[in-house]
Amino acid sequence: MDLITSFKVIGSGLAAQRAKLDVVTSNLANVNTTRTPEGGPYRKKSIAFAAENVEGNFDSTMKGIVKSVKVDEVREDPNGIKMVYDPAHPDADAKGFVAMPDINVMVEMADMIAASRAYEACVTAFDSTKSMTLKTLEMGR
Amino acid sequence: MDEIAVGKGEIVSLSVPREGQTKAGSAGGFSDALFKAVAEVNNLHQNADKAIQGVQAGHADSLHEAIIALEKADVSFRTMLTVRNKLIEAYQEIMRMQV
Repeated sequence: MDLITSFKVIGSGLAAQRAKLDVVTSNLANVNTTRTPEGGPYRKKSIAFAAENVEGNFDSTMKGIVKSVKVDEVREDPNGIKMVYDPAHPDADAKGFVAMPDINVMVEMADMIAASRAYEACVTAFDSTKSMTLKTLEMGR
Repeated sequence: MDEIAVGKGEIVSLSVPREGQTKAGSAGGFSDALFKAVAEVNNLHQNADKAIQGVQAGHADSLHEAIIALEKADVSFRTMLTVRNKLIEAYQEIMRMQV
């Protein structure tokens, strides 16, 4: 596996984790949002990744095994709404209930830490790849 | 990185040019490989420059792509430097030879 391909795979991992963090951020920012352009309250979004074949100069044993990652889908939770009693809210219905996004902040924080750790792991892999390459250049000194 | 690697058969032409070998068109000659490697390193550096400019201007895809471009340029430059040092070393070894 050559260096450029390694960097490509790691780059895809970094981009994917950034996307996950963006989705978590969006969920956290809109934890109390009751109005959206599509109508109704904000709905929790979750992200799914897919593995992708890498075109590179692999030997036959590695071909089709090393895969990069891409963002496959960002899905809205269709029934992610909870009814909260708050008669003073401008969007309260006749009985005083407001449709709020059903977002658990703890779960989002845990997701955020997971994305952040995965990102760090990718950065470590990058550093490790680079230091291996630089070590190779030191051969025979 | 493949472009930088010097192929096996190309070392041969470092010795005295064989007959029929034209200077400019020596396909796969060592100087050719070296020239290609330098061009590739230069290309990677220009890519890195562009990526950083994009980040500064605020219209880059992402910061990490720019950093990866920088690192690619760095590693390829170091590889070229190593090849160059080896060449100089060999040259000086030859110059020190007793006649």
